[in-house]
Amino acid sequence: MPGAASRSLLIGPGTDDDQSCSTESIIYAGLHRLTSAVPRGWGAWMTTAHPALGLTGICKSFGGVCALDDVTLEVQAGTVHGILGENGAGKTTLMNIIAGLMRPDSGRMEIMGVPISTGSVRAARSHGIGMVHQHFKLVENQSVLENIVLAAGKSLLPRRPRKLLQDIDSWCRKLNWPLELDAPVGTLAVGRQQRVEIIKALCGGGKILILDEPTAALTPAEVDELAAAVASLARAGMTVLFISHKLLEARRICQSISILRRGKVVYSGSIADLSVEEIAEKMVGVKMDVPRLTPSARPTQGPPMLELVDVDYRIGKRRPPVLKQINLTVRPYEILGIAGVDGNGQSELAALISGAVNPTAGRIVRRSGGNASVPIRVGYIPEDRHKEALVLPLAVTSNLLLRQYRQSPFARWGFCRYGTWRKHSTDLVRQYDIRCRRIEDAAATLSGGNQQKIVLARELSQQPELILAVNPTRGLDISATAFVLRQLLEARARGAGIILIHGDLDELLSISDRVAVINSGALTATAWPQATPVEIGRLMLGGA
Amino acid sequence: MTASHNMITFLSRQALTAATPMILAGVGELVGELSGVINIGIEGTMLMGCIAAYTVTGVSNHGTVGLLAAIAAGMVMAMIFAAACVWGRADQIVAGTAMDLLGVGLSGMVWMMYQNWRENLGFSTALPHGSGFSRVPIPLLHQIAFLGPVFFDQYALCYITLCLCVVVWWVLRHTRLGLIIGALGDAPEACHAAGVRVRMGRSLCLLFAGACSGAAGAYLSIMQTHAFATNMTGGQGFVVLALVIFGRWKLPGIIGGCLFFGLINSLQQTLQTARYTSQNTALHALTHVPFQFFQMLPYLAAIVALAIMSRKAPGPRYINVPWPEVKT
Repeated sequence: MPGAASRSLLIGPGTDDDQSCSTESIIYAGLHRLTSAVPRGWGAWMTTAHPALGLTGICKSFGGVCALDDVTLEVQAGTVHGILGENGAGKTTLMNIIAGLMRPDSGRMEIMGVPISTGSVRAARSHGIGMVHQHFKLVENQSVLENIVLAAGKSLLPRRPRKLLQDIDSWCRKLNWPLELDAPVGTLAVGRQQRVEIIKALCGGGKILILDEPTAALTPAEVDELAAAVASLARAGMTVLFISHKLLEARRICQSISILRRGKVVYSGSIADLSVEEIAEKMVGVKMDVPRLTPSARPTQGPPMLELVDVDYRIGKRRPPVLKQINLTVRPYEILGIAGVDGNGQSELAALISGAVNPTAGRIVRRSGGNASVPIRVGYIPEDRHKEALVLPLAVTSNLLLRQYRQSPFARWGFCRYGTWRKHSTDLVRQYDIRCRRIEDAAATLSGGNQQKIVLARELSQQPELILAVNPTRGLDISATAFVLRQLLEARARGAGIILIHGDLDELLSISDRVAVINSGALTATAWPQATPVEIGRLMLGGA
Repeated sequence: MTASHNMITFLSRQALTAATPMILAGVGELVGELSGVINIGIEGTMLMGCIAAYTVTGVSNHGTVGLLAAIAAGMVMAMIFAAACVWGRADQIVAGTAMDLLGVGLSGMVWMMYQNWRENLGFSTALPHGSGFSRVPIPLLHQIAFLGPVFFDQYALCYITLCLCVVVWWVLRHTRLGLIIGALGDAPEACHAAGVRVRMGRSLCLLFAGACSGAAGAYLSIMQTHAFATNMTGGQGFVVLALVIFGRWKLPGIIGGCLFFGLINSLQQTLQTARYTSQNTALHALTHVPFQFFQMLPYLAAIVALAIMSRKAPGPRYINVPWPEVKT
């Protein structure tokens, strides 16, 4: 029974995690097939003492800036190894080097004790390394199969190589993921596209799977399914490198971790030895204080600034309403949090409140100081930084002035006054700690956290009375997240009314005065602070 | 009855003859554009093919050597273009315009130098007798009614072009190479992640396109005619460019467009001769129309047809976007 023997070896420490969802059991059922059909050669390398992946002294710099500094780490076969670090810590660079997309300036890499040449995707692939990039590398107008053949095919000729088809089929069975091979990839949902990417990376004898921020684009349910799949792969002897900057997620999925900070490995070992706070401290380098609403800063309620009364919103007359019977009120000095699983109407609610669309029924009242005839100053931090909040090819300074560029003192007689632009932007860049080389640089060249700081600077520097923020910390690392939350708290202390539509419940509860839950387009009455977080979580999933 | 039947056969044959160089250049340009590089300088490359084929045939006395020289000249032009746009991140429209101007100017200059040189030596500048190509009727097949004269009484390069079309269609449709070429122009980062060298791939596609354009030039100067004249391509390169776009980057569409253009062209030429020879008074009246008007007709027809028939197509997304997008 070689299958049984290898399986007992495969189960590493900590795989008995608390995932008992139904997908898990399905995959577990599939696992018997998997272990009894372990690809040839697996038994041999499983039993050797070599780590699945060994990196020694990897250095890489870009134009004099050191991205990776003497990175040395070992990953044992059959484990899920987390690579944690802030944005810009060098995680993706390191993974690109392992996958052969980049050549390190120095250092060695070994797979199962065998040194392999760096800087070649083909060499990496032939040693079983497959990478799923954070931004998928798919050809949208080609079919699922064509995408896999493009990446995993070996010869230039056949479009449907039989061996590869068998490989795809066996991986799909193992993971219990039915794939529509002929569907154009562009028509698939993000979660499905990720499955294509994973199968693509596994085909051709996958032994090491690199997942770069795989959960960034997924809904919580999809994250659970992914976690189950990753666990079953590890149990079957695969080594998974799991890149993340979300600590709770990493704790749930990984057995061991390496923490990168500014291109250096600051910790490598079991994840169970560290608390979440300790991990965060190692990632950031200093002790972080998580921004919280202090009870002493409880609001002094004034007249409502924003009221939604029985608001319905539907797209198309025959379709069911996307939002139904929404009632909410926002007053000065308060943060109203709206919790919910993504896709339950949050985007539409934000569009209504920001004025981008009009309600089908009901009314929206915005009042400045209780006076409905005075236009209210609104600050809007949209959900999609790249598409709605910024004009990426434009300079930082232009992005900072998108709202005001036609007003005095930034323009006179219809001409821009670049001197005042520059002065204003330089002030904001300093005030909001936006890290850019020059204010003339395109916004696209900045990191996600700094891009969000541009948005904050533009929207909050005008002292808005009402602030609408949608997922303002999505994709940001710990320190940038803390910055954003702190800014919102400061705006509240100044007297602004804030609506925070946010997918991260922990953050939401830590800074909101009140929280309502949105589910399937309906908004519950205010649930927080009356209910417990667990009850709110249940409301988010549609429970009573 | 037979007269009109003969007329249709003749016109069809001439249409394919006239369309061949455009089909050839179009196949090359298609492959180049699918890989993400638009070369608007095909006209110049074709002219370089014309002059290279003509002079080398004149000197070597062998048409085949001239044809190979034209292919080589086309590939050299493609290499220059690839160096500028693929490896050097130049704008493809600007560099393509430069390539066009280079081809026009250089071919004209080489032509003058060649004439001087041959005349000083006391040779004629005309092609030596028998060194150019003539039509190659395929035994037996060319006797089939209608189909025979149209498809089996053409120049050798025409047969090769038709075979090439089938091969390219098959490669694009049924091989992994075709996937790679398409992905180079649609999602180069996917190619990069799959270990395909994007710039090398694009350069190879451009080399193929250059070879095709060069051969198309040779067709004009040592097959269809046995002569060279400055600017003898007369804008065909640009027509090809338009046909690739209006053919929605699909081979059948491009070939159809070329054949249509070729048909109008042969019709126009026939009309020009017929107005002098015909007994028909209406036709005879056309003698007062300047010949340039007739030459203009195919282009006019092409514009009208394209405007009516073309539908919108997105085309390769990464045309005129250098790789890597952000310079490192």
